[in-house]
Amino acid sequence: MLLEAINVSKAFGSFLAVSGADLSVAEHEIIGLIGPNGAGKSTFFNCLAGDTLPTTGRIVFDGNDVTRASPEAHARAGIGRTFQVPATFEDMTVLENVMVGAYLRHPHRNDARDHARRIVELTGLRPDQPGRSLGTPGRKRLGIARVLATEPRLLLLDESLAGLTPTELQEAIALVRRVHETGVTIVIVEHIMEVIMTLTKRVLVFNQGHVIASGTPEAVVKDEAVIEAYLGRAHRRPAPERTP
Amino acid sequence: MKNLAVPHLRLVLLAAALLAYPLVFSSAFYRDVGVTFLLAAISASAWNIVGGYAGQVSVGHSMFFGLGAYTPLLFYTLFGWSPIAGIPVGIVLSVVLAVVIGMPTFRLTGHYFSMATIAVAELIRIFVGTWDFVGAAIGLQGPAVARGWWDLTFRSELPYYYVFLAVLAVVLVTTAIVESRRFGFYLRAIKASERAARSLGVPVRQTKLKALALSAAFTSVAGSLYACKTGFIDPDSGFGILVSVQMVIVAALGGAGMLFGPLLGAAILIPLQTATNTWFGGGGSGLTYILYGGIIVLIARFEPGGLFELWHRIWPQRRSRAHAA
Repeated sequence: MLLEAINVSKAFGSFLAVSGADLSVAEHEIIGLIGPNGAGKSTFFNCLAGDTLPTTGRIVFDGNDVTRASPEAHARAGIGRTFQVPATFEDMTVLENVMVGAYLRHPHRNDARDHARRIVELTGLRPDQPGRSLGTPGRKRLGIARVLATEPRLLLLDESLAGLTPTELQEAIALVRRVHETGVTIVIVEHIMEVIMTLTKRVLVFNQGHVIASGTPEAVVKDEAVIEAYLGRAHRRPAPERTP
Repeated sequence: MKNLAVPHLRLVLLAAALLAYPLVFSSAFYRDVGVTFLLAAISASAWNIVGGYAGQVSVGHSMFFGLGAYTPLLFYTLFGWSPIAGIPVGIVLSVVLAVVIGMPTFRLTGHYFSMATIAVAELIRIFVGTWDFVGAAIGLQGPAVARGWWDLTFRSELPYYYVFLAVLAVVLVTTAIVESRRFGFYLRAIKASERAARSLGVPVRQTKLKALALSAAFTSVAGSLYACKTGFIDPDSGFGILVSVQMVIVAALGGAGMLFGPLLGAAILIPLQTATNTWFGGGGSGLTYILYGGIIVLIARFEPGGLFELWHRIWPQRRSRAHAA
């Protein structure tokens, strides 16, 4: 397994945001994390990325325990992440933004620039465009480009495709596919079911801090517990009547 | 080629203007204004490395300036050595102080870091003001008459001007190198978003600490130059809050995080400050505070990026209008 989260819990005071979540990700997989708002998926995601320290449990990446490692150490180990709200380096151009990521593995300026150019080309951005002038789709793409420049083995995408128009969404899905084809393993948190159904082969569903279902996207959308979590008890399918 | 030639031409013109200034304006008064301008530009450029590029707004940089100012005159007072001997010691002490202060305070972000730097600088000022070994509230004096060039004490302002100009060139070239390397990219990323920088593998605390150490070293040199020129230092002129505030305002006025921002800020603020002091004499000494306050309000309200950013915004619009015409 490339990544294993074992019995991960996170409490904020008396509030248990994540309770005993397990996750195993094999190399070259694309896994989706879904759940209603406040389900605990983002907190779990932040634990995987090193942004939040789990209260209990272990996170193992490529055989190494990274539970208490800093976000920098996660990046060095090969775990890259994007943010729900893209944190663009506004005063830099697209190329300079990507170079910040590229410098992790390419300390020399020319190497970093060449590597960043290749990534920018892959993501279809304009290298000389100022970061501050990008719209939402551009910022999302830049977020992915920047983290790709760190050459991650595992890419954690945090609602990176939210807020896009249908056309932009299709382009973004194609981009994630291209990234996956380069050999990167992907864990994706997303609300848009089209993205989950199109891209992932396996999905974990969170509700109230617990993993309530896991399996193929087709299976989880029919799961009673998932339907109840999203739509409420009233929408549960009635149990088949017993015949005497 | 044309794109590269234009900035180079501007650079040559700027260098020529700075070199020619004391020869064109040869009266002692104008030369003194020139020296004061260079000193302000050196200090603000030094501050700019950590405050402008990394966005860590230190309002206590006077602690490094004061250390740099006290050590040359302390060496002269204690051993009769040339003040120059104290300059490297001031640099080393400032770098050590930067690391000692940076380690705990860089756990803090935003206003908390600024407040911590003010507190430390004020504590040092009060401590130095009561410590007899360094002259307490009276301060220290340098050589009244130079024993040779190595005392860095000159009758004319001219040698000071060129020494200060050389130091400014070193600070600016170093900053330009920093700006174009990984270190500079990391500083700008940290300023924009520490969280995002961290996620890309940027060692945030280590990078900030390096920036503070480099900034402290140059600020210390500025303090040493000030002490050598005035031949006197006391707790207020070395460690006073106004020293720190001036660095921040000069950099912010021109453009914090821009190579020539502090130079532009100093070119505006120092003549303005000199003019108010000249017009109102000793009775107008409090005007400096009013001037600084007014500038802070104007920058914060209308142009937080400083005048260089305003220029960068206006110039492309004017150029594209000219092309369209």
